[in-house]
Amino acid sequence: MPARPLNRICYVEDDEDIQRIVRMSLERVGKMTVAVVSDPTQAIAMIAEFHPDLVMLDWMMPVMDGPTLFRQMKLRPETSALPVVFITARASQPDLEELKTLGAAGTISKPFSPKDLPDQLRAIWAALP
Amino acid sequence: MNHSTTANGRETGLEVSTQAVEAEIRDRADPQQVLADRVAQLYRQMPIAIGATFIAGAIATFELQGRWLKELVLIWWAIVVAYSAGASLLLYAYYRSSDKVGTAPEWLRWLGIAALGNGASWGLAGGVFFRSLSDEQQVFLAFLFAGMASVGIPVYAASWPIFALYAAGILGPFFYVLLTFGNRLFVEIALLVPLFYVINVAIAYRLTQVFHSGYRLRHAYGKLAQDHRALNRRLERQLVELEEARRQVEASGRKLALFAERAPIAVLELQPDGTVAEVNHAAEILFGYAAAELVGGPMKKLVLAEFHDEFDRIWRQLQTSRESIAGLKIRNPRRDGIELTCEWTVTPLVNFQKEVIAVIAQGRDVTAQLEAERMKKEFTSTLSHELRTPLTSIIGSLQLINSGVMGDVDKEIGELTVVAERNSQRLLDLINDILDIEKIESGKVTLVPEVMRVDELVRESLVLNKAFGERFKVSFQSHGDIPERRVHADRKRLLQVMTNLLSNAAKFSPEGGIVEISTEDAGANVRIAVHDRGSGIPEAFRARIFGRFTQADSTATRQKGGSGLGLAICKRLVELMRGRIGFEDRPGGGTTFWFELPRRTA
Repeated sequence: MPARPLNRICYVEDDEDIQRIVRMSLERVGKMTVAVVSDPTQAIAMIAEFHPDLVMLDWMMPVMDGPTLFRQMKLRPETSALPVVFITARASQPDLEELKTLGAAGTISKPFSPKDLPDQLRAIWAALP
Repeated sequence: MNHSTTANGRETGLEVSTQAVEAEIRDRADPQQVLADRVAQLYRQMPIAIGATFIAGAIATFELQGRWLKELVLIWWAIVVAYSAGASLLLYAYYRSSDKVGTAPEWLRWLGIAALGNGASWGLAGGVFFRSLSDEQQVFLAFLFAGMASVGIPVYAASWPIFALYAAGILGPFFYVLLTFGNRLFVEIALLVPLFYVINVAIAYRLTQVFHSGYRLRHAYGKLAQDHRALNRRLERQLVELEEARRQVEASGRKLALFAERAPIAVLELQPDGTVAEVNHAAEILFGYAAAELVGGPMKKLVLAEFHDEFDRIWRQLQTSRESIAGLKIRNPRRDGIELTCEWTVTPLVNFQKEVIAVIAQGRDVTAQLEAERMKKEFTSTLSHELRTPLTSIIGSLQLINSGVMGDVDKEIGELTVVAERNSQRLLDLINDILDIEKIESGKVTLVPEVMRVDELVRESLVLNKAFGERFKVSFQSHGDIPERRVHADRKRLLQVMTNLLSNAAKFSPEGGIVEISTEDAGANVRIAVHDRGSGIPEAFRARIFGRFTQADSTATRQKGGSGLGLAICKRLVELMRGRIGFEDRPGGGTTFWFELPRRTA
């Protein structure tokens, strides 16, 4: 478990409505600082700039999907060590297994409860080494 | 010259083989049976021997008694009578005997003794009377002896040693008397007696041989006839069976032809070189060709060019493996150019030499089916992603409002957003249930089984569903102790089963009701049961309660919510985990739903 509490979250998501809900959930319910990225191709630069504690990635996005972005993050020293949580509507077992093998810290399936989302993230944070 | 040599050669060969056959036939005769027949022949002739001896003896006695040694003649007559009586008794005993075949050698020995006795009684007459008789009487006796010896040939011919004994009995003493008579003529006659004896015995020997081979042939023939009859019977039976088999083959051939002709699938008979030999009506319709256009042409005409390599590969495989191949999906062009995808089963027909003599290809148009499968997959994926994503926004927004983190809202607006959230949740549950059942039924669900504690699972499910129960003013309670038990199951899926059963029980319980959960052993299984005090399951609904989209009545559905898929999902999940599920009326009203899983030891 990391020493500091979970505070800074970077969320990569193309759907603006879901961006808004996640932002409200994390800011209002979870009292966290949130940066949202709509364009996955800009994500790495944004992450490097924002210095988040944890990154949330949407799985299915146009141009570049979550797993591809995740693999790219792994190749960059400034982002390779960051814990990543996938948020996905495709919650089939093989898909989730695949994410685990990629090295994802956790998965949250859509639809999620904005009331519980901060707690879910903190639970994943707490389980980190 | 050449020709005749060949002919001769062939004749000799034929002769040899005929002899061989005859020898074989003779060998078929049972030697014991042949001996028994010869003995029977001898005994059949015995009345002649007895009669001739008795009559000739009577005449001789009459002739001799007045002239010489009256007492001696009478004693001789008594011997003749004794022989006749003894021989008659022997004959009687033989005819009474039950096992003439097995005891034949014994009967032959007895007959030999009788024949020797017969001969010796005449020999006695010769030895005792001849010397002191007058010339006429001597001629009479000599004639009698010669006659008796000659008569013995046909009588005893079936066994020459017996004749030899008999004749020796007559001629032996006579020979001695003649030799020692002191008269030159008589000595010369005496020397002729052995010659006469030897000739007679030789004739008897020849006759014995003839009899012997005659009997053997008779027996061999009998055996042969018997074999022949048996063979005939067998042949007849086989002929009947063959005819029956032929009829069956013909019938099944007709049936098969009908099957092929009327079958809704395309059936093609192909020759080993890949040309079409025959097609059925369905094939004509499917590909748009008349049979005459296909027959004699290559099968490849019906295979899309890019599949020709695969076709060749399959064809080679058929030739070597000679085994049927099923489920081949190949694209086939129709006459009008439209491409079909057909699923083929190809079966080589193999003869006794294990050569492929034909290939039967059965094809089914699966174009529409594949398209339907593709659309279903697409639909499922759309449901999964495209419906969930907007629902995420809807439910998320409403939850944020309803949870109060956005600040207070007007009471009536708040009531409406609660309604909206609840129904969005219902829509989501329905989508999830549909996806679930689709995944389970298409075999795509992967369970992650682990050895887990049932009691922990029950407690967890009680906590998780507490809020749901409160919505219906129903409380969940464990019934008695929940013992510590382990099962091998998928934890998440089992929790889903529990949630389904608990939410059903809550929905159909009266307000303020208590739903009880019990865990107990049931044989080798653990049984988890959920007991409610609802109105029970209507009779008409019981049979299809675990079916899809079923609810007891639609009013209840609208009132209580639910997709009608919950129990169907439960049943399939429990069965995937090697368990079973069921329900029963609860004593005192209500229903008990239960499921069982194989118990694991710690």
